[in-house]
Amino acid sequence: MSSTPSIHAVSLRQARLVYDGVTLFDGLDLSLPQGRTTCLLGPSGVGKTSLLRLIAGLAAPEPPTQIAAHGAVAYMAQHDLLLPWLDVLENTVLGYRLRTKFPGAGDIEEKRRHAATLLTQLGLGHALHQRPATLSGGMRQRVALARTLLEDRPLILMDEPFSQLDAITRLELQDLAGRWLAGRTVLLITHDPLEALRLGHRILVMAGRPATLGQPIEPAGDTPRDPTDPAVLALQAELIARLRSAHSLTPGGRP
Amino acid sequence: MNGLRLLVTLVGLVLLWQAIVWLSGVPAFILPGPLLVAAALLDRWDLLLEQAAITAAEILGGMVLGVALGMASGAALVQFAPARRWLLPLLIASQAVPVFAIAPLLVLWLGYGMASKIAMATLVIFFPVAIAFYDGLRRADPAWLDLARTMDASNGAMLWQIRLPAALPALASGVRVAAAVAPIGAVVGEWVGASAGLGYLMTLSLARGQTALAFAALLVLSALGLALYFAADRILRGLVPWQAESVAADD
Amino acid sequence: MKRLILGAVLAALIALPAQAADKVTVVLDWFVNPDHAALIAARDQGFFAKHGLQVELIAPADPNIPLTMVAAGKADLAVSYEPVLAMQQDAGLPLQRVGTLIGQPLNTLIVLQDGPVKTLADLKGRKIGYSVGGFEDALVGAMLERVGLTIKDVTMVNVNFNLVAALKSHQVDAVVGGYRNFEMNELALDKQPGHAFLVEDNGIPKYAELILVQQSGGAFGKSDRLPRLLDALREATAWLKAHPDQGWTLFAKAGKELDTELNKLAWRDTIPLLADDPARQDAAQSAAFHAFLKARGLVKK
Repeated sequence: MSSTPSIHAVSLRQARLVYDGVTLFDGLDLSLPQGRTTCLLGPSGVGKTSLLRLIAGLAAPEPPTQIAAHGAVAYMAQHDLLLPWLDVLENTVLGYRLRTKFPGAGDIEEKRRHAATLLTQLGLGHALHQRPATLSGGMRQRVALARTLLEDRPLILMDEPFSQLDAITRLELQDLAGRWLAGRTVLLITHDPLEALRLGHRILVMAGRPATLGQPIEPAGDTPRDPTDPAVLALQAELIARLRSAHSLTPGGRP
Repeated sequence: MNGLRLLVTLVGLVLLWQAIVWLSGVPAFILPGPLLVAAALLDRWDLLLEQAAITAAEILGGMVLGVALGMASGAALVQFAPARRWLLPLLIASQAVPVFAIAPLLVLWLGYGMASKIAMATLVIFFPVAIAFYDGLRRADPAWLDLARTMDASNGAMLWQIRLPAALPALASGVRVAAAVAPIGAVVGEWVGASAGLGYLMTLSLARGQTALAFAALLVLSALGLALYFAADRILRGLVPWQAESVAADD
Repeated sequence: MKRLILGAVLAALIALPAQAADKVTVVLDWFVNPDHAALIAARDQGFFAKHGLQVELIAPADPNIPLTMVAAGKADLAVSYEPVLAMQQDAGLPLQRVGTLIGQPLNTLIVLQDGPVKTLADLKGRKIGYSVGGFEDALVGAMLERVGLTIKDVTMVNVNFNLVAALKSHQVDAVVGGYRNFEMNELALDKQPGHAFLVEDNGIPKYAELILVQQSGGAFGKSDRLPRLLDALREATAWLKAHPDQGWTLFAKAGKELDTELNKLAWRDTIPLLADDPARQDAAQSAAFHAFLKARGLVKK
């Protein structure tokens, strides 16, 4: 919303998307402040993922959409997207493997060492050479997180990364994410209001068709926030209320 | 252990065979009993082994060429749209024509030696491989490709590092089918024009009324086919180890 | 109602044997060709009917089938070849020769007239094409030994039934198993005339190329259909030899695929070769031929 782009890593102006004859959003503006985590919530089908894909460069912007993004993105989805034929270490350095023109060239060995360190810190030091099929969902998502972090990109886009996990594993991953994403520019889509409050510096609710972003909620304190903190719980009540009205505003869309 | 079950199955089949012969009273020159065939097997084992080696060479040659051609075709279909338009209908039509019809042509072009038999086997093999590989290449999870795109991967990197490995399980299925049908190609080739091989031996024995020997040759051919399938399966499981991990192991 | 149906079925069953006495199934050795002239004429010119017979001629797709079917009792008669019958009998099939359609060999070794082989001795180091009948090795071996060669001096190549094609395309230098009345005419029609070495002039004892075979100890042999069938064939053969052109017209009408230039030429050469008396078997000739087969290891008994 500011006119000084250096504060915002990404700004999206006049975003428009029509899908199957349905206008998902039109004239939408979104800015992601640098070094902060912005959380995006809203009912299924409102267009959160479509918005994220626009920013990721996975969807072609429809005029008059303008995207000003600084640098490349790192992307983390609901599913870990680990390649089943590579072990944990190789999956973590996937980006570097894909970008290497010839095998053995470049600094990939160094990246492998970084990856090993990172994975160990995430509690996966014993599993470096195992294949994803042998890991639990939580472990796999941690590998995906390591992969995302290792990319070392200015912008991190996460689409409901922990929604497939059970409640306790989810809290653990949120702890990890909160610590490791500190100082990075993140757009996090989530269904879970508590998660948004734990991890987000700025929380937006997307609602309606065509969708709009309401007033942001900006909780105080460092992330990851304590889920039992009464301030957090109070905001959660407000957030839930907003989500409820968002649900009634938005016709049941596609997932 | 797999071996015990195989043994039990085989013994069961032999007993069933003998029972059929006894109960139906079918004459030996139509269906010889297992004892007669065993006698022929033992009596002419050197001849059978010699002919088996020739047919085996034809089958292996066909497998190698067929799999290579199949993979090339599958990849071409995915990468080039014109290939899809022209090659795919041709491929499908080639399978509608029965091998028997093409066999004499191949023999005319490639002569009566091993070349035409390998060509026959290749023809029979390459289609399942091509289609399986094509399918596999197309089915790479689009989410993986999305991820790769955000990582700035080139099209080539996506093909070699994602599509190809993702297609290996499907390719493995195609190769398993190929291993099962490879003997058919070789034998049909031999029936049309050969002076050696198990298929030829079968024709010759039948012409001379030596039905037991013909069945012995048939048994050896079946054994060859089985051996080929299991060998292929073993090799494929080594090459595509992650396919096995995702399937519940119950033997 | 049920009793009515049962009665009708029983009546039909009782009536059937009377019908069955007149029916005969004959499995030919190959697709219909001029060698089967007597059978076709007997059927279509009414000789079978005159003797109260209804003969069904079956053309097999697989040349191994006729004798197997007859041995298993699934057909009454088969048209076959004397050497093949000998081998199958030796293997234990319950078969028995009962008639003759062509009492002399038709088999030849054929080379292209303008080819490199002018005498049998020229076959040394060359390729000979054959279709699997089971006794080509013995045949060719005997022919070669007469000129001081052995079967090891040539390469035998199985060309299945494409004898003429293999010869014309020079994939082989000679073929064995082609008939003097058929393949020779085919080559002439293709303007690539062949030269035939007759087997009986080159070391093979005379044998009957086309014979009739029944199951030994079978139902057909016990009925009186065989002598009537042979009578009908004898009359048909006599008629054919007296009216070869009329016979050809009749043959050509028997099936659309039969009216070809090749068949016409083959017909002209085949009629003189038909056995005048289908019932007659030359015992001495057969014995000599059997001895030959035994000497060459094709039969044991």
